[in-house]
Amino acid sequence: MKLWQYILLGLAVVFIGIQFVPNELPAVNTNNPGDLVLNGLVSEEISTMLKTSCYSCHSNETVYPWYSYVAPSSWLVDKDVREAREEVNFSDWMDYDMMDKLKILDDIAIEVKEGRMPMEIYTLMHSSAKLDDAQRAKIVAWAEETMDIVAEEEDEED
Amino acid sequence: MKKSFLIPSLTILGLLFIQGTTKNVSVTETELHALAPDMPANVKAVVEQKCYGCHNAESKNEKGKAKLDWDAFEATKKSKQMATMAKINETLGKGDMPPAKFLENKPEGKLSESDLATLMEWSAGKKKDK
Repeated sequence: MKLWQYILLGLAVVFIGIQFVPNELPAVNTNNPGDLVLNGLVSEEISTMLKTSCYSCHSNETVYPWYSYVAPSSWLVDKDVREAREEVNFSDWMDYDMMDKLKILDDIAIEVKEGRMPMEIYTLMHSSAKLDDAQRAKIVAWAEETMDIVAEEEDEED
Repeated sequence: MKKSFLIPSLTILGLLFIQGTTKNVSVTETELHALAPDMPANVKAVVEQKCYGCHNAESKNEKGKAKLDWDAFEATKKSKQMATMAKINETLGKGDMPPAKFLENKPEGKLSESDLATLMEWSAGKKKDK
């Protein structure tokens, strides 16, 4: 055997080997009564944009592509979805207190305005999740308006 | 026409009474009061001493300014202020501020336990003593 054949064989062995490393992707659950879109804060239009561009990571309704079951890409998907849900999980919206909701909405406005979300590595694989400038402006405006609504709701409860 | 004099004269009359109750405040306190009239004095004191140096509109620390600008804080709407407070609470809770690198050169910039408690309680935002 030539050297390149050894290298190829080695890579193949490693590739097969890493498939046995346990990797449990965050669970999918489509029944989320506390979800943001079910609780009257989002128009149809915004809800569609959020679902298309954000929900696959920032909710319990992740749609896992085939490569999320193959190492090493599965590790990246696992890490990103886990971290994304920790930052904001739209499925658990009603569990957040007012201060958290405000923080999340403010972050949405900032991240979407500055083009940091959705992440490039995500839109590279999911081009339909890309947001154009007009869509970004709409999401930013929605997030900023909703901050006032959330803050006022709390005042009424006091 | 006489009505237009009524309000100014009442204001001046009112000021006479207010003067009687004015307390002596230090210069820094007055300055920050202009920045953030709603913030409790003890919070302002900590912010002025431990945060404002980097987190102000003229700051040369671009990242610090971008993340939080106390000069802009007061001018923002209430919901945005509360969002900022929530972020302050999170960052302080993780012990990320002031940054470890900054403290290497300026250990006296560290938040004391009582400074931290003051900021944490205020930024939690729930308690409104009226």
